[in-house]
Amino acid sequence: MSTRTLGSIRPCLEGAIPAVMATVNAADGVPNVAYISQVYYVDERHVALSFQFFNKTRKNILGNPYASLLVLHPVTAEFFRLHLRYLRTETAGPLFEGMKAQLAGIASHTGMASVFRLLGSDVYEVLEIDEVAGAALPQPPTRCGLLTALRHCSERLSRCTALDELLNTTLSSLTDAMGIHHAMVLMLDPVTQRLYTVASTGYATSGVGAEIDMGDGVIGMAARERTPVRIMHMTSAYLYSRAVRSSLRADAPGLALDTEIPYPGLSEPHSQLAVPVLSAGSLLGVLFVESPLDLQFSFEDEDVLVAVAGHLGAAIHLMQSAAEATDAELSAPPAPVLSGATIQVRHFRANNSIFINGVYLIKGVAGAIFWKLVSDYVQQGRTEFSNRELRLDPALGLPDVTDNLDARLLLLQRRLLEHGAQIQTQKTGRGRFRLIVQRPLELVEVA
Amino acid sequence: MKLPSPTSLLSSAHIAMVDKGVSAIVSTSDAQLRPSIMRAMGSSITPDGCSVTVYLSRQQSRQLLLDVAATGRIAVVFSEPLSHQTVQVKASQASIRPAQPSDEPLLQRYRASMEYELARVGFDARFVRAMFAWQLDDLVAISFEPEVAFDQTPGPRAGSALTTGGVAP
Repeated sequence: MSTRTLGSIRPCLEGAIPAVMATVNAADGVPNVAYISQVYYVDERHVALSFQFFNKTRKNILGNPYASLLVLHPVTAEFFRLHLRYLRTETAGPLFEGMKAQLAGIASHTGMASVFRLLGSDVYEVLEIDEVAGAALPQPPTRCGLLTALRHCSERLSRCTALDELLNTTLSSLTDAMGIHHAMVLMLDPVTQRLYTVASTGYATSGVGAEIDMGDGVIGMAARERTPVRIMHMTSAYLYSRAVRSSLRADAPGLALDTEIPYPGLSEPHSQLAVPVLSAGSLLGVLFVESPLDLQFSFEDEDVLVAVAGHLGAAIHLMQSAAEATDAELSAPPAPVLSGATIQVRHFRANNSIFINGVYLIKGVAGAIFWKLVSDYVQQGRTEFSNRELRLDPALGLPDVTDNLDARLLLLQRRLLEHGAQIQTQKTGRGRFRLIVQRPLELVEVA
Repeated sequence: MKLPSPTSLLSSAHIAMVDKGVSAIVSTSDAQLRPSIMRAMGSSITPDGCSVTVYLSRQQSRQLLLDVAATGRIAVVFSEPLSHQTVQVKASQASIRPAQPSDEPLLQRYRASMEYELARVGFDARFVRAMFAWQLDDLVAISFEPEVAFDQTPGPRAGSALTTGGVAP
């Protein structure tokens, strides 16, 4: 009996070398051997194999569940024989979608993209692992520093006091500690069930505000299935060519205005990893990293990213539920000094989209918030606002207290900065912020 | 090249592929219908395609060799790593003998071929030599006449049985 654990042979399950599996026909005892493109680590006692074709292997395991799987270590050239027992086939859900994404990468890498299609994830119990005798090459040096990298990220995240800082720190920690140069954080809009980019690093444009549908591509799939999705080779199957659509066209077909913020990601990513950001069982968003090179993210990187995303989720959640300032604490607004040309702010009620001097700024809940701020400013001269009053304002239609208002305000703040408009928002304390207007405003409401 | 004899299940292309030396994976079953599997350290085929020999390491394949001795049954899949061209052959009367010094040139030729084949998919010679680091006195040769053969190249025809002379390319 081998003492090897499944975890200790995980490099064999990364898809670098196809595995081979023997099964036996229950009726006549004839063995069969077949290549398996993907062996997926489920947990310490289970693996899942890609079911791609209705073949002899399939017939055999349905009649006789025992299988013998031979895998090869991609560095040491050691063979391991896994004695397996077939349990079930999954055709939807986190395991299936995680395998489907990984298989797409394997398929395009091996020139099999047109042939490989995942029909199901066959889950097997690992009964025993045989260490096959052989002339093993030396083990690769242990990748040191991953735990240190995680500690580094964790320490820095623990010191953050605001969402803006938290997101920037997450991205800069990944760059400093893990050498990851292309990353973004997307938050879930619980109303539209879409993900919007709130922070990014390493791209030509920040893409803040760019949206992705649940279930679309690596990011959307990680969100929908609440599972990490990792691709180690470039695959056209998961590129975002169609991912970013103008929701305005769908919401209000009559408006021929472009409200699309381009998705910022790499045009030819070779490695991608999306990890859901969860807290208290709820999906808050997605942490996403990518690289123009193949094989950049191993299962160990995935482990670190999942831990970082856990910390991030808890921190976002804590900041969200921390007591917000009361209106009484708001200080009197400083008298605004205005000069220069008038800025026109147009609001389309159909989808709450905002255009400043004819250029698209933002839409949805963040657009409605912005419209309230500038309306209060023009009508009442107000410049100081609190999260609490926004939450209580029925006109804004914020879903409930679980909505991440801070993320929406951050999105608005960053869009205003990128826009370069003479209107900005500035955080003035926990749950409080200020509207800074440097030019006279003209508000135009469009039905 | 010689044409295959009309009794061979394999096409001349299949015979040529096996003859040059490609990945060979062997499987068997015991009386309780539990499968066993191991990669061959070498293989050979007669020019007419009617007899196939695979070489296995005893210490790597104990159960598998017991199975062959007990049942005579064997299934072997041959696959060219770069092209994924794959063919499986099966037999019910396989025989085992110890490898002999006369087998050595063939085994070396096989390893050289695998170095070439696996280099084409990104594995260096050091890695391939570790995969095929055999000792002659640990090897056995299993010979058999294929009784059935299947095209297993991934795709719509995967699994289709080959008839005499192989299917059309």
